[in-house]
Amino acid sequence: MLAFLLRRLLTLVPLLLGVTLLAFLLMWLAPGDFLTPMKMQRDIPADLIQQLEADFGLNRPWYVQYGYWLGNVLQLNLGYSWSFKVPVSDLIGSRLFSTFLLSLTSTLFAWVVAIPLGVLAAIYKDSIFDRVSSFLAYAALSIPEFFLALLAVWFAAVTGWFPVGGATSIEYDYLSAGGQFVDRLYHLILPTLVLGIGGVAGLMRVMRANFLDTIRAEYVQTARAKGVPEGVVMFKHVLRNALNPLISAFGFSFSGLLSGALIVEIVMNYPGLGNLIYQALLREDQFVVLASIMLSCVMLVLGNLVADLCLAWSDPRIRLENQE
Amino acid sequence: MGLSLSRRLPVYLALVAASLLAACGRPPAPPAPEKVVPLSEQAEVVPGPPGQAGALFVTTQPGDINTLNPLISEDGPSTAAISRFMEGLTRLDPESGAIIPNLARAWSISEDGLSYTFDLREGLAWSDGEPFTAADVVFTWEEALYSKEVDAAGQPVVDEKTGRPKLKFPSRPAFFHLVEGEQVRAEALGEYRVRFTLPQRYAPFLLFAGGQDILPRHILKPHVDKGTLLDAWSINTGIKNPRELVGMGAFLLESYRPGERIVFRRNPNYWKRDSAGNRLPYVERIITRIVGDSNASNVAFARGLTDAESIQADNVTWISRAAERFDFDIHDLGPSSSTSFVWFNLQPGNNPEGRPYLPEHKRRWFSDRRFRQAVSYATNRQGIVDGVFAGRASPLHGYVSPKNANWFNPDVRRYPYDLDRARDLLAEAGFVRRGDRLQDSAGNPVEFSLMTNNNSNLRTEMATVFAEDMAALGIRVELQFIDFNTIIRRTSESFDYEACLLGLGGGAPDPYSSKDILMSDGRLHFWSPSQTSPQTKWEARIDELMRQVGRELDETKRRAAFFEVQDILAEEQPMIFLVTANEYVGVRRRWQNVQPKPLGGVFWNFESFWARPE
Repeated sequence: MLAFLLRRLLTLVPLLLGVTLLAFLLMWLAPGDFLTPMKMQRDIPADLIQQLEADFGLNRPWYVQYGYWLGNVLQLNLGYSWSFKVPVSDLIGSRLFSTFLLSLTSTLFAWVVAIPLGVLAAIYKDSIFDRVSSFLAYAALSIPEFFLALLAVWFAAVTGWFPVGGATSIEYDYLSAGGQFVDRLYHLILPTLVLGIGGVAGLMRVMRANFLDTIRAEYVQTARAKGVPEGVVMFKHVLRNALNPLISAFGFSFSGLLSGALIVEIVMNYPGLGNLIYQALLREDQFVVLASIMLSCVMLVLGNLVADLCLAWSDPRIRLENQE
Repeated sequence: MGLSLSRRLPVYLALVAASLLAACGRPPAPPAPEKVVPLSEQAEVVPGPPGQAGALFVTTQPGDINTLNPLISEDGPSTAAISRFMEGLTRLDPESGAIIPNLARAWSISEDGLSYTFDLREGLAWSDGEPFTAADVVFTWEEALYSKEVDAAGQPVVDEKTGRPKLKFPSRPAFFHLVEGEQVRAEALGEYRVRFTLPQRYAPFLLFAGGQDILPRHILKPHVDKGTLLDAWSINTGIKNPRELVGMGAFLLESYRPGERIVFRRNPNYWKRDSAGNRLPYVERIITRIVGDSNASNVAFARGLTDAESIQADNVTWISRAAERFDFDIHDLGPSSSTSFVWFNLQPGNNPEGRPYLPEHKRRWFSDRRFRQAVSYATNRQGIVDGVFAGRASPLHGYVSPKNANWFNPDVRRYPYDLDRARDLLAEAGFVRRGDRLQDSAGNPVEFSLMTNNNSNLRTEMATVFAEDMAALGIRVELQFIDFNTIIRRTSESFDYEACLLGLGGGAPDPYSSKDILMSDGRLHFWSPSQTSPQTKWEARIDELMRQVGRELDETKRRAAFFEVQDILAEEQPMIFLVTANEYVGVRRRWQNVQPKPLGGVFWNFESFWARPE
């Protein structure tokens, strides 16, 4: 078990090296750098730009810059944001919570809605409910998130039922703890729906297909034959076995927990990591970009790891120690 | 519902609830007792009828702040936030643009123009109640801007390139205030008197230095000693410790939530009072919500969610429809100080591969003044105003926008839309019309590419109109809408372009702030930057005049010199000016004392704004 964990974590090293190297190279190839916009401002003397170039190391070859960055990362120093002048870890830390919260609620929403829907669609296969839910699922899958987000913003603006953007109201700081809780929830509703709906559709389809597969299995027939009540067959035998593939899917959704909300955050003006990363990319604020890329990479690997562990736990046939 | 799920669901819900609760901080602690210093005798008295204190002012702002440190602020949102709590020694009169007292009540200039003595208002206090004195001014200049880097042995480090001592805190204002590369010295002559000594005569000094934010010594001195001045007052300070942001401005930061909002509270120690003796400002709190972009910000105002908003020219029409419903006025402030223009690449010589920067025949066209003048005559500026800005812009004929009335030369040569004169000039220069195409004397069809940045709708639309105008002359223009960084590289490093359309923001309202654009050795001398010696006689003359503008202290003579610069530019047309967008600001009608001025805008007297609480 421990060996398995270690092996998995070790694969992170070449992966991170490759991904950051590629990101660094791409940023270097893109025209201009962080200081380029300053060159068009009339009251910034050329001397200052030159000095900043030297201070930031932008006048050195890219591999030297990358080497310095790598050295710092090995000492657990993610670097310094050029535009904010604060350590990258502080910057990401200050935005992390909002994004994490949104991802959590939307994942939860997707699972809580998708699993019962998928089960029902499978049990009542080919019924009108199955048809309608399939249709809606395909429709939801085919609408891009950003468009849904735009619709949500428009809906909020027209009806006034929901806040247009933000994570808290103006009076948040003056509310009681309970009031703050409700205020946060209220601001989470629309982004959660937008972010979760695609997940609902996908998960529901997977759930339905798995459930149908499992219903046809021989042990289900055996259970029925020996007179186990239908409800017990469905929930104790079929559902437990049908859930396994979804656990792997959970691993993937974990990877998107911090980065997946990027577009929705930008469109719906939700103050999370998304906006920060987007701005950093536009401005070529190198270390912020690299840190956020590393973060999603680590999350992906960890997510898969967690999914594997969950699988092992839920399915006694899987033994991680024996894996090669 | 599945057994396993129903067992887990409460766990999930508990998890969400717990993390939500974790986010809900305690309600803000009751503010610690504040030190409030009585109003000084020398407090500024703002004329006009007194108002009522206590209102809440709500705004939005496109984009989040990057920093709260005035030494490193680059972007609009940060600069706007900083200007709420920071002030300089002088400010500009909102009507005439003249330099008027602010933190300094008076000043004098020595005969030789090398020393400036400022008398500060006495008895003023910083927002935390500490006294404001000459020591703060000297600290700002001598320590915050010009501390020298020292090596291990305590010796100043010398910059290899310039041969001057290296600055410990290289910042934009520090470099900006250098006079020909030399530092201005500041010394205190008593508690409320400061003397600046300049290395040579420098006309814009009063304006530039007067606008420099004065930093609180008692707060920032430890950061100077630790060498962390440029890291001080970051957004972390704003989040965790807003009371460290001490200033002389009308407001002080109360709280900041990244990506969400900034809250300012009135400075209880502000140094202005109304005619009845009440301390200003009237507004109790400013809540600024951070939104994605200026469109979102405009929408918020149009829905009545905010009290005031700067409105883009192309949004005025639809926003004004909501004026009655949400009870606001849109003030038309006339031409802005931003300009837009087209220029041709006039860079001589060859690129590193040995090829000329542009084909020989094209260089011949572009460097012919008559060609540039013809293009200018054929540019339908009113067409751009109507077509691109829906009438909410003004045609621009010279380098200075009419907004900058002090320096605007109204008599420069103009190029009204006149295709006949354009054709005459082209014929005179040897161009011939064949069918629907114009050709030069060697038979080359006249065509060029025009680039502009792809993220500005207004610029791409202006470029499109310009290209259509050129088609009327038989000139084909190929439009290139590309990334801004690529444009900067092409216009300042590789010179791989033919023509370019860009704009300039206001800049400091002194003509000398244009020296990098207008002087031939300037980094932003668009058509042929960083020349070692002026290529043409007229560029040499502009250099000479600009040097005069930099040194001459007599306003009339400076103006005469700068007017001549504008005349030369209008005659030679190295930059073909297009239009300047008009400025619009919307304000809810419940606000009193709103007195828009063309130069000062709407918020020049924000500390006097008041409203009956809703």
